[in-house]
Amino acid sequence: MSKSNEAFWWSLFSAGGVLAALCMPVFVLITGFLIPKLVGGKEDPALVFYDMFSSMASKWPVRITLFAVIFFSLFHCAHRIRHTLMDLGLRHSTGLLAAICYLSALTGSVFAVLALIRL
Amino acid sequence: MVRELTAVFIGGYLVFLIVLLSKLASGKQEFASLIQALDSPVSQVLHLCVLVAALWHSVTWFNLTPRALPIFIGEKRVADTLVAVVMGYLPWLVVSMIILWAISEDWFASVPN
Amino acid sequence: MSDNTKITLEVFRYHPEGTGQTASKPSYDRYDVPFHDDWVVLDALNWIKDNSDGSLTYRWSCRMGVCGSCGMMVNGEPKLTCAAFLKDYYPKVIKIEPLVNFQVERDLTVDMEQFMEKLESVQPYVIRDDVNQTDDGEYKQSPAQLARYKQYSMCINCMLCYSACPVMGSEPEFVGPAALALGHRYNLDNRDQGTSQRMDRMMEHEAVWGCTFVGECSTVCPKNVDPAGAIQQAKAASAQKYFKKFFVPKGAGK
Ligand code: SF4
Ligand code: FES
Repeated sequence: MSKSNEAFWWSLFSAGGVLAALCMPVFVLITGFLIPKLVGGKEDPALVFYDMFSSMASKWPVRITLFAVIFFSLFHCAHRIRHTLMDLGLRHSTGLLAAICYLSALTGSVFAVLALIRL
Repeated sequence: MVRELTAVFIGGYLVFLIVLLSKLASGKQEFASLIQALDSPVSQVLHLCVLVAALWHSVTWFNLTPRALPIFIGEKRVADTLVAVVMGYLPWLVVSMIILWAISEDWFASVPN
Repeated sequence: MSDNTKITLEVFRYHPEGTGQTASKPSYDRYDVPFHDDWVVLDALNWIKDNSDGSLTYRWSCRMGVCGSCGMMVNGEPKLTCAAFLKDYYPKVIKIEPLVNFQVERDLTVDMEQFMEKLESVQPYVIRDDVNQTDDGEYKQSPAQLARYKQYSMCINCMLCYSACPVMGSEPEFVGPAALALGHRYNLDNRDQGTSQRMDRMMEHEAVWGCTFVGECSTVCPKNVDPAGAIQQAKAASAQKYFKKFFVPKGAGK
């Protein structure tokens, strides 16, 4: 019987689940299919996208939204992967598993912040 | 288990997004080469896998929402489908449209004709 | 169907204390049972006990999906045998086994002790700080207040959900679907004042946080209780309580 900090991780998981459900499909649609479609045939298309994205992503509301989506979604994934591995039988080194999962999500978030600040 | 697997794909995609943002921050040349790479079969296949996973996540997530957040009006519990639509599918549509609209506005503004 | 149509049952046997062939080692026995359109698996087991093997051990009582004692694995799925019709399996062999994720006591009966302890641990009854005297009248509840928890009060403790739950299989300490759903049922009851002491147990690692919302419990539940949904709601309540303790100073209110 143990008290648990699971409530904390679960809250991040839930917030990330909502944000990922709302945003991921359209993000994938844009980077995977809309951009390549528009790239085809243009002279120097990448530069057009560069201007467009850098002007857009450097607006503060956009930066903050992007950070929130990435941060919470990363913890969503980390939490879900951790629990799936536990369900699959990895129940002995739970502390280590949790550390690996959540530290990965944290690392990703730090890189996201660094990129968003430099924009 | 399929639902759990979506986390692996979405996680992978998030790493890609972070890389994309870093390249965007590092300058034109770096960003341009990544954008060019998006127009390749490998990228298309990977994106397709992620798209399927992301859609699966959205649908399963919204379908389960009413069971975690039941809504009552008086003695009646609001039908699960209605809750899923109002609290999930509709906002999903709105958010997607807003993001697409924001992108296209900017796109048209920045493309010289 | 003609009168002498038969269906075959393959039944799990285990007599740890027995003697002779069936002693101690788990095995399967086959029985040919008369097939009737309106017979359920429990009828077939009763026929076996009356006509071919009186030593077959299993639990049942109401024969109408109310008592919750006749749960068994039917072809690998947890079912109430009084509600599982032979005609849904005919002409295939039906395999009958005791509920999984429990210790087998004898043949098709399992040890319910741990389940009972878990159930007790969430205090599934109305708790009051102040107890009304008879003269004070009853605790009032409106139909709308009843509707909040009614679905979760329909549980018959059949334990099918414990057999369906994959977490239960790998984490025997897990409090489990029915007990958590019942705890939540009393938290939702407006007459109850015991939420905070009940939550101490429900917020534990092996309680609501053991659940990963696989949802199999709700799929097999014969009473449409949706324990999985109840547990998610209890998780949200636990998270609220968890964060509250950082903002509300100790001892202020409750
Ligand atoms: S929740 Fe459903 S399956 Fe579980 S014990 Fe209660 S009635 Fe049976
Ligand atoms: S015999 Fe009572 S529920 Fe089946």
